[in-house]
Formats: sequence, structure tokens, C-alpha cells
Amino acid sequence: MKSIRVALVGNPNVGKTSILNHLAGTSLKVGNWPGVTVEKREGKVNFWNYEINLVDLPGIYTLEPISDDEWVAYNYLRNEKPDLILNIIETPNMERDFLLTVELLEQELPMVLVLNMSDEAQKLGIDVKDKWLSEILGVRVLRTNGRTGEGVKALLPNIVEVFNSKERPNPLKYSKELEEFLEKVREREDETKAELIKKLLEDERFKDYRESIRKIFGKNMHEVIKDERYATAHGIYKEVVHRKPLTSRDITDSIDKILLHPWLGIPIFLLVMFFVFKISFDFSAPFMDWIEGFINGFVAPLAVEVLTYLGAGELIKRVVSEALIGGVGFVLTFLPLIAVIYFMLSLLEFSGYLPRIAFLMDKFMHRLGLHGKSLVPLLLGFGCNVPAIVATRTLETRRDKLLVIAMIPFMSCPARLVVFSFFAVIFFKNPALVIFSLYLLGIVVALITALILRKSLFKGSLYHFVMELPPYRLPTLRLLLRVVWVYVKDFLYRAGTLIFAASVVIWLLLNLPPGVKNPSESIAGYIGKSIAPLFAPLGLEDWRMSTSLIPAFLAREIVLSSMATIYAAESKEEQKEFNPSQALKDQGLSLLLAFKEAFTNIFKPVPTAFEVKEESADSLRSVIAKSLSPSSALAFMIFLLLYTSCLGTVATMWREVGKRFALLFLAYSLLIGWFLGFLVYRLGSLLWST
Amino acid sequence: MKLEEVKPGQEVTILSFSGKESILEKVQAMGLRKGRRVALLQKLGRNLLLKVDNSRIVISKELAKNIEVQ
Repeated sequence: MKSIRVALVGNPNVGKTSILNHLAGTSLKVGNWPGVTVEKREGKVNFWNYEINLVDLPGIYTLEPISDDEWVAYNYLRNEKPDLILNIIETPNMERDFLLTVELLEQELPMVLVLNMSDEAQKLGIDVKDKWLSEILGVRVLRTNGRTGEGVKALLPNIVEVFNSKERPNPLKYSKELEEFLEKVREREDETKAELIKKLLEDERFKDYRESIRKIFGKNMHEVIKDERYATAHGIYKEVVHRKPLTSRDITDSIDKILLHPWLGIPIFLLVMFFVFKISFDFSAPFMDWIEGFINGFVAPLAVEVLTYLGAGELIKRVVSEALIGGVGFVLTFLPLIAVIYFMLSLLEFSGYLPRIAFLMDKFMHRLGLHGKSLVPLLLGFGCNVPAIVATRTLETRRDKLLVIAMIPFMSCPARLVVFSFFAVIFFKNPALVIFSLYLLGIVVALITALILRKSLFKGSLYHFVMELPPYRLPTLRLLLRVVWVYVKDFLYRAGTLIFAASVVIWLLLNLPPGVKNPSESIAGYIGKSIAPLFAPLGLEDWRMSTSLIPAFLAREIVLSSMATIYAAESKEEQKEFNPSQALKDQGLSLLLAFKEAFTNIFKPVPTAFEVKEESADSLRSVIAKSLSPSSALAFMIFLLLYTSCLGTVATMWREVGKRFALLFLAYSLLIGWFLGFLVYRLGSLLWST
Repeated sequence: MKLEEVKPGQEVTILSFSGKESILEKVQAMGLRKGRRVALLQKLGRNLLLKVDNSRIVISKELAKNIEVQ
């Protein structure tokens, strides 16, 4: 089987992703381009006897790169030389899109031109003579509708035929004078126009030519090339496009009148965000609970039964049921949340609303030194840091992405709220005020972190706000679900493996050496005891506090249950009789209930994500009340607020921006959590003692 | 006048660009070119929302100072 490497190239928002989705179906994969945080999408199709490998290059307006994503596209075309370029054009904006087409033609690679969204163009009175266009360029021209997938399949036979026949586009003809100079720098027969232009522009040897060009044209070489390209693009456009006078009004303009209204715009955005937030967390919560119950209440006991039947020892049974299955379960509980958030985000993105949020909120976010788009991931952070970090993929520059990722973990999530409310109720007369202050402290630390980063690492990276607002489009459900599936798969594979490995390690720490009866004898207990002096300045010298932080690295709310076991305030739950068929029935029933709850949750006015569940018995309350002072409790809460005690978050960070950043950030959050905890403990001790 | 001074609802023609910033190249590639008609749809915060042909483009006022229009 022969393979064909095809690069999808086009301006941003022309529907490349949709076309790739329709072409590649479930073989679609997402990842990052090496060295940069620009998303890479790839897919594979088997057609006739060919394996067609599709790569979606980041959307670009021109092959003169400035930003990360533009460099990715540029380098790929220059160094990797795909077998064929699929140039996708948004038909309503053909004239603009033709600039990139002209630059691509300079590469002299086999090419197929795709007129996407030709239905929209027709509505706008734009008539394209595609046969004539094909003849002028020497390139096949096909029409598609990326939204519905119409015409997309017809691309495949054309790709193969062009690849086989080695059809090349007609050579571009710039002005006679320029062509003469280009021929003068030619050293080999097979140099492409793009290579000749690059030499004429940059090569030291041809300085004199640049001088004479300046004299002949009255402008510098760079300007000459640019103007020639624009003129060619404009010329082609004039040849092939006929515009009828517009009769119908553009629907996007009408919608924008409301959604981008000077006064209504922001309240509408807040409302939209509220619903995105609510649906994401409330809809997924029952499924998350169900998965947890299914794993721990059915799969784990079933495994124990099977292992007992096979005659396995006690330790093996526990390793399998608690560490392995527990670890998998821990990864899987994130699944509903990630899927629903991706769905909502993709809906916002494909419908065209997401870039408008950036435009609306830029004024506010700019004061904080951030891009308008950063607001969405930050707000999601209050629901769960993991999908919030994932959501930063919608930010264009590495700078913005890193800044926002470094802020998100300080946005307090409901897992922290569970811990806060437990401690605040025990130690303070006004727990709500304490909790509110903690949320605020998190935001302040996030802003300070961003400020530090802006003044140090990202100094001087001044950026201008330039973006396009695409027209509103209703994406199909099939497209959204496919996109969600691709991301969920990627999350499971990359963050999931990390989360799984770390949760197994933590289980081992708590349960080794073999035969430990209570945590104080385990490795975790020893670590807890040896690090206890480090927490003494925060008023937390008790080793039981420091030990409970070790399992809490999985997720903060675990700190309560681990405290309960470590303080031995709760008796071990009794073993229940396990009946597989009955248990399966129960699980099925609770899945139905989860569906019911998910749908009813959507219609509740207040997000249920913020309803605090009682997680521990009163016995723990009384033990904790005796063993801590209000100021050390506050220090503990602050430490847990700021320190990234969340395996999911660290793993996702690791996946998104790399190991070094994730570990450095973890260290930073530990330091700042410790320091502020220490500060508050000292101040608090002074206040409360007087 | 400068593009920055245009009022919402007005339509103007781009005359020239000044300034050396590379981002101006991108702005031109996005369709804001010499001789093109541009309508200012809205001003918000530090940005302008423009309509060129069938696309809507947001650029900062800071950048719009570099664009001479009529």
C-alpha cells in the first residue's frame, strides 16, 4: 500500500477541522507539535490502495510567520514537503484567502483547491466560476460543505489521482522584471519559486540585486514581493468571481447586534458562562458518582471474588482491587466531566461565540495583562482545574497559555470547598466569610503569579489584539461528538496513564511494607513523620496532619477520609456479602438514576456543584477540634488552597506544557502555600492570643 | 484621518500603512489592504470591530493608529 502525505492548509476558521473530521472519522488524533503548545491534528484514511495521511496545519493568513502556530505551518511546508497540499478556502472570503493560495503555489507542490462553505457564498450572492479557476491555476477545484460533510468524500479520488499523475499547478507569473531577477538567482533546475524568492530576499550574495530592484520598482524587495502576490490574488479573484448585488441581510450581523451589544453583551456572556458552567458540572456529576460506585461497589468486589476463587493471597487481592482497579476508577471518574466540558467548549468554538468572548471581555482582561479569551478557562477553574487547563488550548500564543495555566490551579474548586467547609465550621463563628476570603486569596495569588511571570519570563512580549470573528454557524451534533471523542481518547491515554501510575504509587506508600495494620507503620507514615517538622511553623507539627497530606495528593477532598483513618476516628467499614447478579442489578438501576439526576440537575437554578456534601463523621470533628488551633486550621486551609494537591491537575499540566513546567509549578505552589500559611499562622496566633 | 478616529457605522477606504511592526503584515493578509473599503461596526474597550468584504476583523486601536483612511 502506498502512502500519501496530505497537508490541510488554509486561513483560520475556514472549516479545516470539520473537513478533516469528515475525511478521517474516528482515526483522528490530537497532539501537540513538538516544542510548541500548538495543537496538531492528524488522521488517516484508506482509499483504493492508498493510505492517505492527513495533517491539519494551524490556520494561517500568510506564509510569513510571526506566531508559534504560523511557524509550525511554515516549517512543515518547508521542511517536511507534503506530497500534496489541500488548500481549503472559505468561499465567502475568497479574495483574502487567495493570498495564501498564491504563496502555496510558489511552493510548486501538487495541490487540490477546496471551495468550502460554497452554500454560504451563494447566499451572499457570490458566484464562482470554478472550471475557469481550475484552468487558470492548473489545480483541481472542488466544492464542499464542511458543516454537513457534503462533497468531502469526493476529495479522496482527486487526491489519489493528482498524486499519481504528479500534476503540478501552472507556474505563477509575476511581473516581467521580477521574473527576470528570480531567474538570475536560480542555481538549479528544480528550485521552486518560493526558494528563489527566499534567496532573493535574504541571501547575502544577492545584495546588489536587491539594490537594483529598489531602484527599478521604487520600493524594497519585500514590498515588491508582497504587492506582486496581492496583485496576483486580486487578479485571480476578479477573473473567477462574479458578485450579484446583495439582497438578503447577513444573519451574523443581526446576531452580533445583540450578543456584542455595548450594554447587553457582557450580561449575556455571564449568563452563557453560567449555563456552560452549570451544565458541565451538574450534568456530569451524577455520572462521575456512578462510575466511582460502579468501580468500587461492583468491579472491585467482583475481582476479589474471582481472585478468592482462584486462590490468590490477601495482598494480591488488595493490590488488584484497591490499587489497580482503584487507579483505573480514579482516572475514569474524570471522564464524564472532560467529555461534557469538551462538548460545551466545542459548541462555543464551532458556533463562533468563543472568539467574540475575547472581543467582549478584552477590556476587562487587558487590565490584568491577559487576553480576553483567558477568561473562559479561568472561570472553568472554579468548577475543576483539570478541564480548565485543557480549555487553554483555545488560546493562541504560548505566553497566554502558560500564564493562564499558571493561574488556574489557584482558582478554588469544589474539592477544596469540601475541605474548607469542614474546617471552617469547626473553628470559626462565620464560616462563610472565611471560605469567601479563601476564594479571594486564591484569585489574588493567581494575579500575583501572573504579574511575576509577566515581569520576568514573559517580559516584553508585547502583543496586539488582532483576530477574526467568524460568522455564526450551527455545528452538527455528529461533528461535536466526534471532536469530543478525539479529546477524551487523548486525555485517557496521556493524562490517564500518569494519573493511574501515580495513584498506584500512593496506594503502595500507604500499604507497604506488607502487613501494615495502620498508616503510622506504612512508608507514608514514615514520610509523614519525617516531614512533620517542616509543617511545624504552620502550627501543624502533628505527624498525622502531614501524613494525611500524602494520599491527599490524589485529590484534596481525600484529606478528610485519610485523616479519619489516620486519626483512627472511624472504624473500618464492615465487609458486606457480595452477590454479583444482585450487585449488577443495583448498578444498572443507579445508572438509570444517574441519567435522571443529570437531566433534572440542568433545570435546577443553583449549580449543584456547590452543594457541600457531608463527608465525614462527627467523631473526626471532635478529634480535629481538639488537636488544632483556629490559626493552625486556617494555615492548613491556606496551604491546601494554594498547593496543587491534585494529581489530575499536575498530570494535565504535564501533558499540556511539559514535565518541567508542571514540576516547577508544583514546587512553586508548595512554597507559596507554605509561606502564606506560615504568615497567617503567625498573624493569627498573635491575634487570637491577645 | 487615522482608522482609529472613524466612527461606528462609517465606511472608509484604506490609504496607507505606517509603522514597522510585523503584525501589520498579518493585518494586511487578513484583508485590510490599501484601497479596500472597511466598515467600522463597533468600538469596544481598546479594540475596533471592522468589516472587510465578508469577514469581521478585530484590531486594537493602538494598531489602527498606523492605518490612514479616507
